[in-house]
Amino acid sequence: MEGRCAVETWAQFGFSGGSYKVKILCGFGTDVLICTGTEEIYVFSKRERKITTVLLLPAAVSDLVGNQDKHLIYVACRSGVYRVNLQFLLHRDQSSQADASSSPAELKISQECLVVGADEVSSLLLVGSVLLTLCQRDASWLLTLYKTPKQTASTSHEEFGSFHLPVVSAVDCGAAESNRRPRKGSVLICIHSGDVEASSPSNASAESTVAQDHFHLEPLLFKLLFGVEAALAKSPVILCGLPDGRLCFLPLRLPGSRLRVLHSLEQPVCFVGASVVTETGHAQCLVAAGEQGRVVLIKTDKAGSEGGSAVAAFTEGCVPGPVWCGCMDKSCFYYSTGADLLRLDLSEGSFVRESKERGEETSGTTAAALQSPSSLNVCRVIALAEPARSTAGDVQLLGVSARGQLQRICLPAGRVDEGSSKLPSTQVSRSVRDLLSAIGDVCERASVLKTVIKSKNQFLRLLNHAISISFLLMADTTTDLPIKEKPIRCHFETSWSRLLQKDSLSLVCFLHNSSPFVLERGWTLSITVSPLSYSSSPAGESSSTNFSFPFHDLCPGQTFEASLPIAAAGDASFPMTVSCSLIFSLSSLLGEEEVAASFAGLQSSCISLPLSTLTVDWLHALQLNSPTATHKMATVQPSSAAADSIRTFLSSRQLRCSGRTNRGGESAAKPEPEKYSASVWVSSEIVRDTLKPKKSSNLDTKESIRDPEDLCLSLLERLLSEDTEGVKMGCQGDKIALSTSVVHACGPNGAAMKLTVKEINVGEEESTDKEATIEVQIESSSLAAVCGLHHAVLRRIQTLLQSATEKAASTKNVQILGLRRALQRAEIQQSQISGAFGEVVSTVQRDRLLLTVYQELRQNPLLIV
Amino acid sequence: MYQPTSLLEKWSQENNELVNKCKQQEAAGGAVSRDHSQSSLRWCSSEFHKLLRKIQGIPPHVDHSQLELAVVYNTCVCFTAQSQFSEAELLLKEATERVLQVTGNNADTSDPLVLWRAGLKSAGNTALHPHVLYLLCLQWALWLAKCQLENIWELQEQMSSLCELVCDGVGDGSPSEAKGRLSKSPLLVMELKRLTELLQICTSIAQGAEKLNEGRSSEALSDLQAASALSATRALVAYTHLLSGSCLAHMNRPQMALQCYKRALETDSRCVCALYRSMLIYRQLGNTQAEIQALRLLHSTLMLPPATEPVLGGIHPLSPSLLLSSHSLSRLLLVPSALSVLYSLALKCVLSGRVTEGVEHYLDLLAALHSEDQHAVRVKIITNKITIQFSLMGSVTCICLPQVDAEVSVLPRMPELYLEAGAALLFTRRPADCMALCNEVISTTLELVPEKVVLEEPDEGIGGDARGLSVEGEDKVAMLLWAAAAYLLQGHCHAHLKDWKQAVTHYTRCINLLVKVHLKNRDFQPQIPAADVNVKHGKDLCALQRMKGLSLAWRGISFTQMDQLREALRDLQLSLQAFPDYTGAGLWCGEVLWRLGRKHEAAACWEKTWSLTTQTSVEKLPLYLQDPQSGPLLDSVELRLRIQELGLT
Repeated sequence: MEGRCAVETWAQFGFSGGSYKVKILCGFGTDVLICTGTEEIYVFSKRERKITTVLLLPAAVSDLVGNQDKHLIYVACRSGVYRVNLQFLLHRDQSSQADASSSPAELKISQECLVVGADEVSSLLLVGSVLLTLCQRDASWLLTLYKTPKQTASTSHEEFGSFHLPVVSAVDCGAAESNRRPRKGSVLICIHSGDVEASSPSNASAESTVAQDHFHLEPLLFKLLFGVEAALAKSPVILCGLPDGRLCFLPLRLPGSRLRVLHSLEQPVCFVGASVVTETGHAQCLVAAGEQGRVVLIKTDKAGSEGGSAVAAFTEGCVPGPVWCGCMDKSCFYYSTGADLLRLDLSEGSFVRESKERGEETSGTTAAALQSPSSLNVCRVIALAEPARSTAGDVQLLGVSARGQLQRICLPAGRVDEGSSKLPSTQVSRSVRDLLSAIGDVCERASVLKTVIKSKNQFLRLLNHAISISFLLMADTTTDLPIKEKPIRCHFETSWSRLLQKDSLSLVCFLHNSSPFVLERGWTLSITVSPLSYSSSPAGESSSTNFSFPFHDLCPGQTFEASLPIAAAGDASFPMTVSCSLIFSLSSLLGEEEVAASFAGLQSSCISLPLSTLTVDWLHALQLNSPTATHKMATVQPSSAAADSIRTFLSSRQLRCSGRTNRGGESAAKPEPEKYSASVWVSSEIVRDTLKPKKSSNLDTKESIRDPEDLCLSLLERLLSEDTEGVKMGCQGDKIALSTSVVHACGPNGAAMKLTVKEINVGEEESTDKEATIEVQIESSSLAAVCGLHHAVLRRIQTLLQSATEKAASTKNVQILGLRRALQRAEIQQSQISGAFGEVVSTVQRDRLLLTVYQELRQNPLLIV
Repeated sequence: MYQPTSLLEKWSQENNELVNKCKQQEAAGGAVSRDHSQSSLRWCSSEFHKLLRKIQGIPPHVDHSQLELAVVYNTCVCFTAQSQFSEAELLLKEATERVLQVTGNNADTSDPLVLWRAGLKSAGNTALHPHVLYLLCLQWALWLAKCQLENIWELQEQMSSLCELVCDGVGDGSPSEAKGRLSKSPLLVMELKRLTELLQICTSIAQGAEKLNEGRSSEALSDLQAASALSATRALVAYTHLLSGSCLAHMNRPQMALQCYKRALETDSRCVCALYRSMLIYRQLGNTQAEIQALRLLHSTLMLPPATEPVLGGIHPLSPSLLLSSHSLSRLLLVPSALSVLYSLALKCVLSGRVTEGVEHYLDLLAALHSEDQHAVRVKIITNKITIQFSLMGSVTCICLPQVDAEVSVLPRMPELYLEAGAALLFTRRPADCMALCNEVISTTLELVPEKVVLEEPDEGIGGDARGLSVEGEDKVAMLLWAAAAYLLQGHCHAHLKDWKQAVTHYTRCINLLVKVHLKNRDFQPQIPAADVNVKHGKDLCALQRMKGLSLAWRGISFTQMDQLREALRDLQLSLQAFPDYTGAGLWCGEVLWRLGRKHEAAACWEKTWSLTTQTSVEKLPLYLQDPQSGPLLDSVELRLRIQELGLT
């Protein structure tokens, strides 16, 4: 378990972004030099903890190297290489500190400091007195050697060698990157054979430049990689990593040596270094890292394959993430992916080596070590330098963040078990606090994740239900089950209520869920009420009303009840269609804000499953005027006594007027233009047959049905209360006791009407075989009421007959009689209609004519048998 | 009417300004580095090209074709100076076609020769003619730079007429002819007269080199001698002398060749190639003293700082080196590096008996190799240009090292150099130094010596061309042989110091290493005569056998000194088996036999040894594999006396 890193921001400098090579140069006492790819180089003093000087170069800086002995730095710009004497700088610095200690001194580097006029130098390296520049010329990489003068005063830098390597354009994997980063950096480092110092202590310059780009490699590995000759010549070897992925080397002092390719990473090389330093100070492992995370470790494999001699083992592997920058200390490789700072412990492999004999396993474990870099949780680091290990075992790194901050990153000691025993109590408590807060963070994250997973599960479950229910309902529509047997069904009841002296009709919807599924959140019952005939609305637009009732967990077996106002008395157009459907919407399931945020188009997308479509007709909406009800109203509500008496009066008058039969003669004798009537004839036999099963189920006696009076009553009862298509007239107060076959009622528009059911005989009066017929007669002064009620009665009888078994009664004669008469009437009506349309008459006259025809049609129905 | 003239004026003004700027930069360019002048040249060429684009934007017309052709000339000079030959050639082709359009002819060919002939003909005697000649000059330069000498031969008459014209001063902008007309003519980056002169001599040199390469030495000689009279820079004249010398050397007239080389050196004291060639001739003549002298001179000349470069480069943009890039010429001008010259010198000294001097040179060489600043590398730059060929992935696979003449001594590989130096030190009785060098070799190589090595069927390249091999494939056999040779030398050192026990130890180590080598071809009998071995099998096998013979023989000798005669006899006999040619082993074998009292056998052994008078090519053996001239010696005269005595008794 790793502790946490402490990041301390030391300085902030203006900085455009990580498009260039950022480099930190240490080793000048307490001064740290930072170049950020702009024209500026910042000199940061660790002692004063601030930027003391800013060096202004004439062009963007691409690389920076230093000679600590002579206090010189070499800066590669676009226009050439400049040499800056830091001693002079420091001196200047101290003198200027007196007057302005707060703001950093700005120092312009003039053209006089230009020592090498090569342009577009991408990398620099100083090996002893030799300055190397690497640049790309047309089709080749050019490594040029310059001799630096012994005296710092002299500026002549004599070129004494150059090496070419053709550019390879085959590596295109970083093409996208190359657009983003205009100049991809190259890496130049110097490798010394480990025994050089020991054997020739006079070679002081090599020791003095032991910096971040100089490494001492174990002699055997050195020889294996770079040859015996380089080792014999005590030649330092220049390693250069190119953007095309090649890792080239050049023994510097070997005559006739050339740039040769050691390895190819096949992605831009962004770091080369050596690590796993032994007690003798020699690194045992050469590491090169590519921009996309490919890392090659080069070690000596002592148990070589043939002959038992040592060979150099190249272990390639991939570490996660892009490698932005890296640095090395004695055993670890630290690199930044931008999102994180990672540590790769390279020494593990060598530990394993000692315990195991076989070489393959060693390389395997090394590769495994590559797979698991440990995260240090520092993000946006774009340059790293100067790893230092304190006595306590902490590693301190110097980093530059993408935001242009110079940071000191303190990494905790490698192993907890080492440190914990010796830690002082304050540190223990701090680390405990750290751990606790870390645990808290983890808990929080875990709970968040848990809820997310839970909600997702829930969501999936709901979706599953939704799909099941949809299938269920779809199956219903195809199989056409009777409504009673549907797993999810709804039926309605109409009821009149009186509120604030205003009668209003309300429809109560009962949804019964007998399916095995719970109707949960996300499901909505949508009921659309629209008039059956649209033309009745004045403006012609559909006056449909939508009601929707979202469910909250309707369990199986439960019933959902919703009451919806259809109309106040007088302003409703009956009959009306009520269609109800179940709607499942994703949006209500996900929650509004999520949907709005992520799926703008999803809001309309919901599953709509039609349940049933019903018609609420006049019969459902009738308000029966039972004597008891009227009496109650009168007694209970004396304030409305006057109005009621008027209405009673009116209705009595209507009653009186409606005392006529459908006989043509009678109606002609008492012509009352306000009085309209319509009638329906049904063969009483059919009525008897159809009502029988009903009655039997109701445990009623069959005797009563024999009686024609009873038959009429039961038909009336059936008409008024029957549950057709799931719509039922609700009970109006107490159950109406139908004593007579005449019902006075008040329609939804307030019009009084009379419904009479009686038995008549139809047929030629002289004929013997009279057919027993039941006539249902509707009378009202309101034409709309008559029409509506007639429609409703017809519908009822239709459904009655549909349910009845077909009777093959020979009623041909009656039919023929009826047909003949009907034909006659039709002829008359035809002539009347054509007359009405043919003649030039006023619209009023025409309407009247049509009305007359209509009335006749209504009054002389065909006998339904 | 107004506008075209003003445009024309504007353009020609622009051109003149650019030319002036160019000339200023060139004048200043001597001081600044090569890179800088290159970048200014780049700038110039792009500016000229821009201007040319503007001018060529309008259809060709007589009025401004003069200017146009001048700008084409300037642009092409800049392009050529940057080695952008194809761009320059394209421009020239376009320009010729436009000239043809102006004169009303139609060019329907892509063959440049036909195009040029047509162009020159159509330009005829019009005012354009001199300007077309400018362009022809440039075409000439391009062909020369691209080594397309046959094209130049094809248009020889046109070229010669061009030369005449230029010498008359037509295109020079000189005051002699029609000053009024030409005073307004646009300026040129490089004067035509100088260009033609340069082209003439460079063509002669290139053609001479080509002919020499083809073996037509006498033909080349006359051409070159004619060319040496031309006016040109010293360096170029020196080249003509040098090439004449080479021709003469080729024609087997070494003394005359030496004269030519001498003249070349007199003309241009920097002409190291002449010095080098003279050295080769001395070597050929067997004049070792003169050869050593020449090597010494050559080395000191090569060590001089390269202050002379600008002289060759001149101040005009087209440098002779650009025009003289033919392969055959560069091969002729090749000079080995200072280090290899020094090595040759050292080796020659040691081999010719001037051991002390040779040792000094060896030590100088080692010091130079270890020194921080390597002047040696500098010379490499020049040769690099020519000799390096790269494979696609950049690993150097094929390097044309100076193999022009077999005599050119290439630096041996580092360990061999150490061993040779060690051997030389031993010759001068400095065993301690020798041992130190050997220690170094052993410490470097021993770790890498494998447990077992299989010496494959002879591959000629194994020893000789190993430098080019990649590091991973570095020859294990070579590694082993080096280590063994180092032990052998150490053994010799101890023998020299009469520390016989130590000597035996080191010889034993050497033998132990050598027996790790397994010969792959089992049928092959290693005991067959050494001369055959030399031919059939590579250097490695030869060295192996020789080393086996030496180490065994010398262990035997050491045992003899320690009075362990049985072991001595065994070793000496084994040595004779491994390497029958080695006389020392034979003589000592006899001696041991003699001491063991097997006098007749001893006599037979001696007789047999003396009969082997092959005395094989000791010269070709590495220094460290030669018989150490120290240690106990047997006097043949005394041995013969003994035999006589034996015969008497």
